[in-house]
Amino acid sequence: MSQKYYEDTVNSKLENKHAVERVSELVRVRLVECGWRDQVRLACRKLSEENDGFNNFDELIAVVTPTARAMVPDSVKRELLHELELILSNIDKLPSKK
Amino acid sequence: MNGCSHLQHFMREEEGLKTYELLHGVFVISGSDERRQAKVINAFCHVCDKRDFFLHVCMHCTFFGCSQHIREHTKNKKHTFSMDISYGQVHCSQCGDYIYDEQLDSIARANALQGDSVKKFVLELVWPRLHVEDKDWCNKTEKMVIDKTTHIGLRGLLNLGSTCFMNCVVQAMTHTPVLRDYFFTEHHQCGGKCLITNLFRDFYTGEKTPLVLNEFLHLIWTQARHLAGYEQQDAHEFFIATLDVFHRHCSATLPAQPNSSANKVYRCSCIIDQVFTGSLQSDVVCQKCNGVSTTIDPMWDYSLDLIPSVTDGSLPSSLEDCLERFTGAEILGSNSKIFCESCQSYQESTKQFTMRTLPVVLCFHLKRFQHLNDLEKKVSTKIKFPELLDMTPFMTKQKNDTILHLQLPYDNKYMLFAVINHVGTSINAGHYISYIRYQDRFWYKCDDLIISEAGIDEVLQSEGYLLFYHKYCLEYR
Repeated sequence: MSQKYYEDTVNSKLENKHAVERVSELVRVRLVECGWRDQVRLACRKLSEENDGFNNFDELIAVVTPTARAMVPDSVKRELLHELELILSNIDKLPSKK
Repeated sequence: MNGCSHLQHFMREEEGLKTYELLHGVFVISGSDERRQAKVINAFCHVCDKRDFFLHVCMHCTFFGCSQHIREHTKNKKHTFSMDISYGQVHCSQCGDYIYDEQLDSIARANALQGDSVKKFVLELVWPRLHVEDKDWCNKTEKMVIDKTTHIGLRGLLNLGSTCFMNCVVQAMTHTPVLRDYFFTEHHQCGGKCLITNLFRDFYTGEKTPLVLNEFLHLIWTQARHLAGYEQQDAHEFFIATLDVFHRHCSATLPAQPNSSANKVYRCSCIIDQVFTGSLQSDVVCQKCNGVSTTIDPMWDYSLDLIPSVTDGSLPSSLEDCLERFTGAEILGSNSKIFCESCQSYQESTKQFTMRTLPVVLCFHLKRFQHLNDLEKKVSTKIKFPELLDMTPFMTKQKNDTILHLQLPYDNKYMLFAVINHVGTSINAGHYISYIRYQDRFWYKCDDLIISEAGIDEVLQSEGYLLFYHKYCLEYR
């Protein structure tokens, strides 16, 4: 089977079990809790000054993303990996979406 | 916010709004089985097959593109608008940037409320942003430096004859961060001099003389007749009565709400409900057929028993103990059989309370005053309470989550910010004092008109009668 078919199946399963929402909600909460979101906001301002302002959103993303990625605490990454492992290994046992 | 001229044209000439509504509903919210399927089948880049988080859909044709290829597509094909499928933001290739429009925003909000159960649950949890107009803040010219030596916001309260119970409740409420911030901004409009707004503002004038709350006391007396009179009242009863008076006043002055969806049946959009109202889930399980009957009720405060446990006679020793007992399964004996719908007969059952949703401010009432056969006894059991409280063990377990160890909501941490204590051995005599948290790191003891510094240890060692916790991480959406 093609790579595409494989990806489609996996994605389909993940969608049907609320998996993506759960994981993104978890990450969002942890990132707010540890102050990452506020740090990124400050970084955006700082980098904007250094850059003489951003012309558009795409530019902002290009400049800020590497810094923002580096600021994510290891504990959040570990927790995310752990949750993903749990979800994927139990994917068939999870109840489906209503 | 009116987008750009290109958007206006798109909306006028090419049914832009309908297109947005459809694309947003299907690919961003995906509220139904078919839509979810459609999203899974279609959401990949037509050029490179990538499924990254930056996927956009073209609003003029059926093209999906990743970050690089969508920009190329909109430029080359001269298709101006594309929408990102993670958040539903619209990009205008002629302006070269994302644009924001009120009409698109309201469509997005309306779609979100039609989403599936998990998304809706998550939406309900988030504190709605108070739309403070930025220009209001810019026009304020008075400035003040807040440093370690300022005491703005701390004022003593004169005792008008056994009104220490009222003074404590007022200290706690005026130092509730979210509530105080709300009454500072001009959100509360009730036409004319508002007693409540002035109460908050009086605390922060910078003056150090004690306040006299005769008007406030009079307001509560007229609205809550059962508390009128100069005798000492129970601080907890007074707190509830005050909340009720504030709630009635605030909801009466709200602008007329359009018929909102079933989301908010248990609380209205007045500030008191938004801050103090959580919901309690009660599950009654029939012992015969294991059928569960569930009810959900709004709660303003949590009254916790300090009685010996029925299983081993032990007394609770901490707040967490009390909460464990509160949310533990209780066997309703043969004298209290419940009518079971599926068995169609009276059966023995177990009852369990769990917290379904938590408010921004949690108020715990330790039931230290017991009325047993005309005798009024004060229970002085030492209850340890923490500075930081995690409510996760007491939350309702969502059905989906029996396999995964983490439950939604993921963040249930609360921070202590006020404590009201009853000093003395008898209910009718005795005195109330309060501790409030100030500028995050400091605590002050409020004994009517005497405000003095206190250490966190002193607060945590105190007896504790009413405990006020504030959600630790608040975020806006």
